[in-house]
Amino acid sequence: MNCESVVKLIPLYFYGELPPEEEDRVEQHLDGCAACGRQAELQRAVAAALDRREMAPSAALLAECRHDLMRAVYRDEAPAVLPTHATPWMHFRDGFAALFPPLLRWRTPLGAMALVALGFVSARFTLPGAGGSLNLASMAPENIISSVRSVTAGPQGAQSGEVQIVLDETRRRVVSGQFNDRNIQRLMLAAAHDENNPGVRVESVDILKSHSDSAEIRSLLLNRVAQDPNPGVRLKALDGLKMFTSDPEVRKVLAQVLLHDDNPGVRIQAVDALTSQADDNMVGVLQNVVQKEDNGYVRRRCEKALKDMNASIGTF
Amino acid sequence: MAQDAPGAVGARLSPKIDEAGLIRAVQRGDQDAFEQLVRAYDQSVLRLAVNLLRSQEDARDVFQEAFLRVYRSIDSFRFDCSFHTWLYRIVTNICLDYLRKRKVRKEEPAVVDTPEGPLDRMNDFEEEAAHADPERNLWNLQLGRRIEGALAGLTPRERMVFELRHYQGLRLRNIGEILGTSEEAAKNCLFRATQKMRVELGDCQ
Repeated sequence: MNCESVVKLIPLYFYGELPPEEEDRVEQHLDGCAACGRQAELQRAVAAALDRREMAPSAALLAECRHDLMRAVYRDEAPAVLPTHATPWMHFRDGFAALFPPLLRWRTPLGAMALVALGFVSARFTLPGAGGSLNLASMAPENIISSVRSVTAGPQGAQSGEVQIVLDETRRRVVSGQFNDRNIQRLMLAAAHDENNPGVRVESVDILKSHSDSAEIRSLLLNRVAQDPNPGVRLKALDGLKMFTSDPEVRKVLAQVLLHDDNPGVRIQAVDALTSQADDNMVGVLQNVVQKEDNGYVRRRCEKALKDMNASIGTF
Repeated sequence: MAQDAPGAVGARLSPKIDEAGLIRAVQRGDQDAFEQLVRAYDQSVLRLAVNLLRSQEDARDVFQEAFLRVYRSIDSFRFDCSFHTWLYRIVTNICLDYLRKRKVRKEEPAVVDTPEGPLDRMNDFEEEAAHADPERNLWNLQLGRRIEGALAGLTPRERMVFELRHYQGLRLRNIGEILGTSEEAAKNCLFRATQKMRVELGDCQ
């Protein structure tokens, strides 16, 4: 074995990746060759320097990653409120089209209007003028919402001082009707899913929760309590499910909420709902919560429920 | 002299737990089983991502993406390799994508100059190095710069092989299996990586 081949083998030798016979030959060479011995020492020193630079993720980071992951997994599994062929937008569109049949052929442009009709968009702008600012929003009739599509210099060019502004104007319509009107319900189901406006979701779920005897609405509430990013919406949805805590599907979702929701207020409501009746199937969940829950009230409620069921508090 | 890395893969299930049974339970949709499976491997996965990407945010994203991919595709796991190898294939693919994207948009240095002096972004991590001694801290800072420079000089694949061998303590044969290459190719990659590191860090004794 010559020096050139030994130097090439030093990294593999260092990491224990050589077959035993080859390792012996490298060792014999290193014992008798000072230059190669220095190369081996260099390898060791570089490895030691790299060891000192190793990063250990903190326990807090690991805990956060675990929490985020299980939350995402749980959301993956949350019951789908609407069948795949009926998206919230389709519900809205169908409801809208039924209310205003002549507008059916304008389905696509209605996509933009839908947002406005539910109060998602308001536009307000000012233009500098000789007499101060000009508030076009205040000039418009109350039910017209304007937004600027484009601004260009007039045909004579920028020097002429003339400008051309293209406005998109949308008329706001108030739709009213009885809750039992199917089209009204569709609009509300769509509004409960509007990801841009938590306020509209809270208001919609607040009304819908009074009608949780409908399987479709109960399914929506289960979906919202499990998936809505806004705790206010989750609380409203949970409130609407309290009458159904004996339903196994509701209990299953609430158990997941209790285990994984990051809002203590929601977990408190979930534990109250779940422990309102003894259920041996919940023992494992409650024991799990006792182990990892940091909210004292939730923990105590779980401990009490376990005691009431003569179940042990810890797992062994 | 031959040695395994100090932190050789610690992520193993307790011998009492039947991994295959756990995987089958996950395939049947058991979320608790998935959580147990994750806990058996997640520390080493996070350590790999943190060490490799030198960024908590990116490591977090990799963690989430990798385990979600595992969860969503575990039905396709057919036990024709170990779960560890399958999981690491997913994790290393995601990490390599991150490293390649960074190469394109020029890697962010771990030690950055600020008006208040050099700031080591990695100080958020728990390090084995002593913090109390100012001279030692300065030495660590300089060493940190040089190590970052040396690591930045490796190709994403060299860096991955080096990481898996040096910090994760995996055998080259297993690394080849994870990266979809031969043991010989992994050996060559490790050789090139160590050569580059020795050139960059040769006087850090």
